[in-house]
Amino acid sequence: MTKLHVAEYLDIDVEAERWHCHDCDRDLGPARENYKRGLLVAERDPSEVHPKVIEGEYTFSPNGDWVRLLEFYCPGCGRQVETEYLPAGHPLTRDTDIDIDSIKARIAAGEARINEEGKLEVTL
Amino acid sequence: MTYPTLEQKMQALKVVPASDYERQCVDAIPAGDYEIAVQRTADILDEGYEVFMRSSRSSMGVAGDSIVAMFTAAGDLVNASAGTYLHAVIPPIVIKYILARHAENPGINDGDIWYTNDALYGGIHNPDQVAMMPVFFDGELVAWTAALSHTTETGAIEPGGMPLSATSRFEEGMNLPPMRVGQNFSINDDVLEMFAAFGIRAEANVTVDMRARATTADRVRVRLLEMFEREGKEFVTGLFRRMLDDAEAGARARISSWADGTFRCVNFSDAAGLTQGLLRNCQMELTKKGDHLTIDFTGTSPETPSSYNAHPQAVVGHLANYIYEYVFHDLPISSATFAPIDFIFPENSMLSPDARAATSNAVMAASGAMSAIANCISRARFGSTDWRQVTASQGNGGNASVLAGVSQWGAFFADMIAYPINTEGQGAHATSDGMDAYGFPWCAFGRAPDVESMENEFPMLIPMSSHWRDSGGAGKYRGGVGTAQLWVTHHAPYVFAMAIADNSIVQTPQPLFGGYSQPTVPGVVLNGINVTEALATAESGTLTLEALLAGEFGGTPTSSTYGSAIHPVNGGDSIIIGLSTGGTGYGDPLDREIDSIDQDLVKQLVSPESAVHLYGAVLDRNGRVDRDATIGRRAEIVAERLARGVPYDEFEAAWSERKPDDSILGLFGHWPDGAVVTPLMRP
Ligand SMILES: [Zn+2]
Repeated sequence: MTKLHVAEYLDIDVEAERWHCHDCDRDLGPARENYKRGLLVAERDPSEVHPKVIEGEYTFSPNGDWVRLLEFYCPGCGRQVETEYLPAGHPLTRDTDIDIDSIKARIAAGEARINEEGKLEVTL
Repeated sequence: MTYPTLEQKMQALKVVPASDYERQCVDAIPAGDYEIAVQRTADILDEGYEVFMRSSRSSMGVAGDSIVAMFTAAGDLVNASAGTYLHAVIPPIVIKYILARHAENPGINDGDIWYTNDALYGGIHNPDQVAMMPVFFDGELVAWTAALSHTTETGAIEPGGMPLSATSRFEEGMNLPPMRVGQNFSINDDVLEMFAAFGIRAEANVTVDMRARATTADRVRVRLLEMFEREGKEFVTGLFRRMLDDAEAGARARISSWADGTFRCVNFSDAAGLTQGLLRNCQMELTKKGDHLTIDFTGTSPETPSSYNAHPQAVVGHLANYIYEYVFHDLPISSATFAPIDFIFPENSMLSPDARAATSNAVMAASGAMSAIANCISRARFGSTDWRQVTASQGNGGNASVLAGVSQWGAFFADMIAYPINTEGQGAHATSDGMDAYGFPWCAFGRAPDVESMENEFPMLIPMSSHWRDSGGAGKYRGGVGTAQLWVTHHAPYVFAMAIADNSIVQTPQPLFGGYSQPTVPGVVLNGINVTEALATAESGTLTLEALLAGEFGGTPTSSTYGSAIHPVNGGDSIIIGLSTGGTGYGDPLDREIDSIDQDLVKQLVSPESAVHLYGAVLDRNGRVDRDATIGRRAEIVAERLARGVPYDEFEAAWSERKPDDSILGLFGHWPDGAVVTPLMRP
């Protein structure tokens, strides 16, 4: 195995150093880059997902003037890979940086392998 | 003043290296005896925990929001029974301080009772108080014991121990640095009177809880001494050191098993005390390398002019809540498990404030850190064989209500009611939904009291306490739902109430892997409702949050922030709705099993509207999910996503030009880096 299943909808091909969608296998870009750059983004008002249950200023829905809901989709299969609630203009979070060199070194040293489930398994 | 610096506190979290004598003692332990003795420490502590709950008076103590612990002679935590992991790793700061500062004057003697509740010296916030006792065997200090719990009165500017309006520590009531409060196995009467005086609003809670801590620390001391007498000093010394060694080795092995990398999360809240404003209450960068973690909070918003600040060790305590519940759940509760973790706290941030800062709502200030750690560690370990332990964040609402006044029994009381906070929904897991009404993210083993017990304790009627529909974050796996309750003043003309919150405008936790977060939590009051009449007409099962909000029982629902300063609530005609938030969602909601949606509808945990809009369900005329139609509808929703989605780089170019309105950025710090703009003055 060379594909590590690092998030619910993301694999890293450790040999090829590429991100892939776990569901449709779409190539999402270089593994040393932010995987989100290979995704589509949609901005939504939080009330589209969290309905305003009562009238007034405080409604059970996050206030769209304070935060926006960002949805990140796989361009291949439309899977919602990530979501993030951010104030408008707030830097988008680069949430996952996997150290590819370290994984390669551990596999080469026989310390670890990528098992049948796509998980890093310590063998020593 | 000699309160410990940030560096000294972080150093005190680290285990004192083993002496040659300790190493010899470890080597001398016979095979098989070690495991039995480890269990014996756990049994002693469990007995202490039981004594503690039965001796406490405050709701939080009775609910088990506490920890009982034992330490080496040098002050390192060996094992504990909880309760809450919040206090798990930080008491060594206090014991090591006592050893360093007070060994000569006033001296440390057999029968001493030591005490502190001051977060400046190593605690969480001043309602959280600890009694510690040194253990002497053959005239030598061989160990320490401690009992920690939350008492809901401190003599602050508002009742309940967590004053929303405090702006500095000078408005927070009693703050005791580590000091000796008793000798010869007895609490000094003059000290007890001081507690009563600070606790005049709820004297019984304050003095009984204080005695409960001392008696619990003493029970553990007595049992430990029995162990020393039976097994000998050499054996117990070796046992303690080996437990520290094993805990550290276990922690390092677990961390090692994950892929190296860097993981980030940002979290927001909407208030600091009574001041509204957007805060980045946590910006976390977690770097995992080899068997080591570095957790960096740089970018977190500045310290606030309110009680929503947390001293750094209190933040570490909050991380322990998650780490012990989900990561080190099978290791002893020990200082040594935190040996491979280092922290970076930005100065004058709300997670590392000035000494004068109010910190009595540290538990609110740290809710972002508690959310971020779940998110970052889940990302770090999903690629490992540990992946089934991955979870979305708990809701971490902590929407606490304080009641005070004169009870139906004529007694003064001031207490934080334990039911709402102990019924939050759990964050969803990688393989299943979060548990509904699972408990309190700050205290994994706290118990929600029975409604009947609360009605007996307080002049309140609680005619409804039920699951709060749609409160769990949506996802492939849904966050557990929280609860909604009705609180009606009863058998008293009025009570005073206040509520603590920072999630009425934005929610703090970020979801995981494509799920959604939970709804925000408004403060809802029903004015003009005739309670007696409303209850008399309610058929079984019809009194629900939705029916009340729709006005089916009369009255006008008005919403404000959930947080509120102390105010009177009159009997008879006014109802407060208590809300306990749900957990955060995991994975794409369109991935949710169709049968699970159907079950949620039947159990009324998800509304038909949410089933349709969030999960893509198509309902038949009986309101059940039509499987084939749902599959078709989900394909349409995927197509809608692909149509509206914009490539990342293009999106970011336009997005980064925007900024929230300055009117909400007063507490944020400099945009967008969160740096201090104007240093706070606290005269
Ligand atoms: Zn895909």
